[in-house]
Amino acid sequence: MSMLLREFKVEVIRIFRNPYFIFWSLLMPIVFYVIFTKVVNQGMENQAEWNALFLMSIAAFSVMGSAIMTLGIRMVQEKSEGWTTLLQVTPLPASYYFISKMVGQSAVHIFSIGIIFLSGFLINGVTMPIGEWILCGLWILLGSAPFLAMGLLVGTMKKVDTASGVSNVFYLLLAITGGLWMPMEVLPKLIQTIGMWLPAFHYGNGAWAIVRGDSPEIKNVLILVMYLLLFMVLSVYSRRKQEVV
Amino acid sequence: MQPIVQIENLTKEFKGKRAVDNVSFTLEPGEIVAILGPNGAGKSTTILMMLGLLKPSSGEAKLFQADPGSRAVHERIGVMLQQVSLMDALKVKELLALFQSYYPNPLSMEKLVELTGMTTEELNKRTEKLSGGQKRRVGFALALAGNPDLLFFDEPTVGMDSSARKQFWLTVKELAAQGKTILFSTHYLQEADDIASRIILFKQGKVIADGSPMELKQSLLRQSISFKVNETTNKEVLMSLQDVLAVLEDQGRFTVMTENPDHVLRKLFELDMKLEEVAIEKGRLEDAFEQLTVEQEVS
Repeated sequence: MSMLLREFKVEVIRIFRNPYFIFWSLLMPIVFYVIFTKVVNQGMENQAEWNALFLMSIAAFSVMGSAIMTLGIRMVQEKSEGWTTLLQVTPLPASYYFISKMVGQSAVHIFSIGIIFLSGFLINGVTMPIGEWILCGLWILLGSAPFLAMGLLVGTMKKVDTASGVSNVFYLLLAITGGLWMPMEVLPKLIQTIGMWLPAFHYGNGAWAIVRGDSPEIKNVLILVMYLLLFMVLSVYSRRKQEVV
Repeated sequence: MQPIVQIENLTKEFKGKRAVDNVSFTLEPGEIVAILGPNGAGKSTTILMMLGLLKPSSGEAKLFQADPGSRAVHERIGVMLQQVSLMDALKVKELLALFQSYYPNPLSMEKLVELTGMTTEELNKRTEKLSGGQKRRVGFALALAGNPDLLFFDEPTVGMDSSARKQFWLTVKELAAQGKTILFSTHYLQEADDIASRIILFKQGKVIADGSPMELKQSLLRQSISFKVNETTNKEVLMSLQDVLAVLEDQGRFTVMTENPDHVLRKLFELDMKLEEVAIEKGRLEDAFEQLTVEQEVS
């Protein structure tokens, strides 16, 4: 157990020391938030609600990105450089490697969510009952599971360049078609239809529902779980295939 | 005593090509063994199979009488692979502490520093900021972290400067004196000769010689004279000649092994035998060694 705990601690330390993480997962989303609430979209009918809703979008955007990219690319990097091979001849169980990476990543997400929520409060004075803040945070944290699984799938790729290219494209496409950058309603009809079947919209929608005082729809949960299973199966399959040498 | 490493008929094929061909050997505790051979002789492939990192096409490798992939084995071995890679965003001492935590009886940090000659400055450096030589030193420390009984070094001194090399081998000898078993691969004849108590010579995936450096050098000097004789010749007569080490007979052709072919040849003529189709051949080891020497001149 202490081995797992130490491994987990090391993963957290490493993420925080990664300048890309700080930039892409914290700085960028907050800059986005300022642009879309202070510069563009000013003077809307319901500015306060928009500020709160968009805060959720941006928090979801941040966590989704670091789940897919930080986790996946790091795994590819460690594999291609041979670090993973060395670990295979140490007593560290292979499962600990994956568990500590995913749990460590989630722990960092709690921090990201906290910082982004705080900046919403400081920048736009977003307020909600404390229960809603916590529920939103939990939703974004737990709902990131399919994206962590997607990170694992990215982690089975062979080259760092391919992994970072592919995951960047998927990440941005998911964010746009999921209405995390601008509301679903302003997107073209076709994209809306496609987006409804992708995980990002349902990820954001759960948090938006909580902000509006509702609870996330069953459909949101089901679709996220479905993608979680899909990505898990794919990444296990792909890893198995590579193991047979 | 039970052997620490047992390898039986290990074979690895890549796309129909045999990288390792029916290799068998065992290692006893306390040996320093060099796997010597030119590039592409199958040294690394053999080591990877011994470690369970590569599945043999056929044959079997056992460490401590167990499957090399088992945790019990992993707790007793230390490994430095050809390409040293370190986890980034960590200080050297953090990485070492992490590795120590993997093992039941790790070496202390002081001991690791002492054995590898790392400086305090290096210990506090992030791994991505280390030079190639420093990385190797950390890789060495990682291999030692668990206080292993059996150590594997795949081409350990590639990329080390001469003083680092010296320090490395000095430590290896010290470890062997403590009773640890050490297996390393190299394509430097000199290194194998200086350090190893036993050399396993690889060529094109096969073991072509296995013995102490002394034995290998002796058999290197060994040459053979082969010839046909019309009249029936007694093998014993040939054996009785001075300097003859062995005599083989194959379909009327005799092969006489010796370290002194000139002398033996003279004696043969003195016996007034009607020799035909006389040929003098160098030992088969020589080829392999020549290849090694040529390669080193190039690199």
